Amino acid sequence: MTAQTQTGALLHTDHVATIQALQSLEGFLIRQTKKSAPDVADEAVRKALQSLVTTLTNEVGRHFGFEENHLFPLLAERGESGIGEFLKHEHSTILPLAEEVADTARKALDEGFDAASWHRFYDASVELIEREIFHIQKEEMGLLAAIGMLVDPAADAELAELYRGLQVA
Amino acid sequence: MFSDFMLGAKSRLLPASVPFRFFATALVFHIVAWATLLWSGDSVPGFIGGMGPALAALHMITLGTLAMTGMGAAYQLLPVATKRPLRSERLCQATHWLMTPGLVLLLWGFGYGPTWAMHAGGSLVVAALALFAFLIADNLRRVDDMPLVTGHAWLAVAFLLVVAAIGMLLIVDFGTGLLPNHAMAAAAHAVAGGYGFMGMLVMGFSYVLVPMFGLSQVPKQPYGRWSIWVSAAAVSLGVVGTLANSIPVMLLAGLVGLAAAGLHLTMMKLTMKTRMRKQLGGSFVLMRAGWVLLPVSILAGMVAATGVAPAIAVPLFGFLLVFGWLLTFLVGALQRIMPFLASMHSSKPGIRPALVSALTAEAPLKLHLYCHFAAIACIGVGIVVGQGWLVRGGAAAGLVGAVAFAVFAIDLWRRLHRHLNPIPQTASESP
Repeated sequence: MTAQTQTGALLHTDHVATIQALQSLEGFLIRQTKKSAPDVADEAVRKALQSLVTTLTNEVGRHFGFEENHLFPLLAERGESGIGEFLKHEHSTILPLAEEVADTARKALDEGFDAASWHRFYDASVELIEREIFHIQKEEMGLLAAIGMLVDPAADAELAELYRGLQVA
Repeated sequence: MFSDFMLGAKSRLLPASVPFRFFATALVFHIVAWATLLWSGDSVPGFIGGMGPALAALHMITLGTLAMTGMGAAYQLLPVATKRPLRSERLCQATHWLMTPGLVLLLWGFGYGPTWAMHAGGSLVVAALALFAFLIADNLRRVDDMPLVTGHAWLAVAFLLVVAAIGMLLIVDFGTGLLPNHAMAAAAHAVAGGYGFMGMLVMGFSYVLVPMFGLSQVPKQPYGRWSIWVSAAAVSLGVVGTLANSIPVMLLAGLVGLAAAGLHLTMMKLTMKTRMRKQLGGSFVLMRAGWVLLPVSILAGMVAATGVAPAIAVPLFGFLLVFGWLLTFLVGALQRIMPFLASMHSSKPGIRPALVSALTAEAPLKLHLYCHFAAIACIGVGIVVGQGWLVRGGAAAGLVGAVAFAVFAIDLWRRLHRHLNPIPQTASESP
């Protein structure tokens, strides 16, 4: 619930940013409605789509990658493999959705939306928002607590340093 | 809080049948309670105690809906929050098997049924509550972190023993006249049960549910810890003051209770302020209304304690405490908990977890929301102006809302079943 470790605090910061992006997307979808595709020549729409593509391409992939390649193996070493398997399973559902939304948005920035691509984007976005927020809910309440319980301060500092390095890269 | 869902993995999640059997029973009593009020609404204005359908309806909500929901939620949420499993799943199920027939007998007895039904039913209900208290206490004694959740839960267990003891004395008193002042013992029973047992459960689990649904953090402020001690003092003073029929002590209890409510609500406000999820939907409209009605119920209780206009103040206090604060808050929380838990139970190999929105029928929940508020307003006014028809009108709205809530719950179960057992596509249907 409360990020008591450096790594937990960094993951929490990511969660806040992702939720903000998803809530902006949600607001955009509500304003736009499924019936009418937005005009990508509109500067505000372009900005929203570009920001979404950046978040989904860089942030979500990096976040999931760090967890799967560094954090979950460490937790498994400390005797807790269930948490990693559970969250990895969710990642495998969310990541293709995030890629689909990002790809459709990227394509729309070049070519605009037609009715079919807008419907695809809309439906995938709605599902992504709900799955990702539900996932963050679990990470905030479960994973952050697990890091606090299972990762000692030295390992925590090392993990946090590694994650900061990925952010810079 | 979901570390136990994942630390030790999803297997730590109780089988869906355990919490959901409590929730399903709670929703049946919810419907029957409003129906009973609809039938007996004329007896509600001026009701200051005694056997009859009003007493039965009150206990359908307190024991049938609130305690049942509290048990189901506690069995699921406490081990998650404390990161320690409950001693026995079978004992959890046993509380349901004791509680449900016990309640049916007790309520029959309350509604002018035979005395033996009241005694037998009361005994079974007390046995169920004692088993529940044992399971919760057994879990809590192994926990030294989570002070806000466990502190309130310990108080709930302590006041559960008080409310059960006074409740049994009240039942025996119906036939024997054992108690010197039945009305004041009933008031002590209401304070210990409403604010002590259920109130402390609601306040404690709020520190789990509100951050979970709002994606927020409980602020590192001392108000939560203070609210445990101040609540303990308020409820204890309330019980002692009512048993002793001492107006100054009852009023002091009310003032201390307002302070406790203020501390708790400050913590909730600060928790809500840090939430990441801005859109929280109808469930939080109900939960927020519950928060508003908590201090309002205490104020009504203080008026009742002075002895001014008892025919209005006493039933209004009971109504605002049980139907206003507790029921409003709990139905709000329940409509979030049920789809959330169902979604947690919705994945199996080859099947992706169901979306909460895909499991939730919004229309019945909206109908329930409007009907619930209409019911609270109509019955509250009906009690104040002494008009039974207003109470019956409110009860009719409450009944429609309760049925709508049950439709939401049945539909949720149906959607979960359909998600877990998809109809295989035939060759001709396959793309």
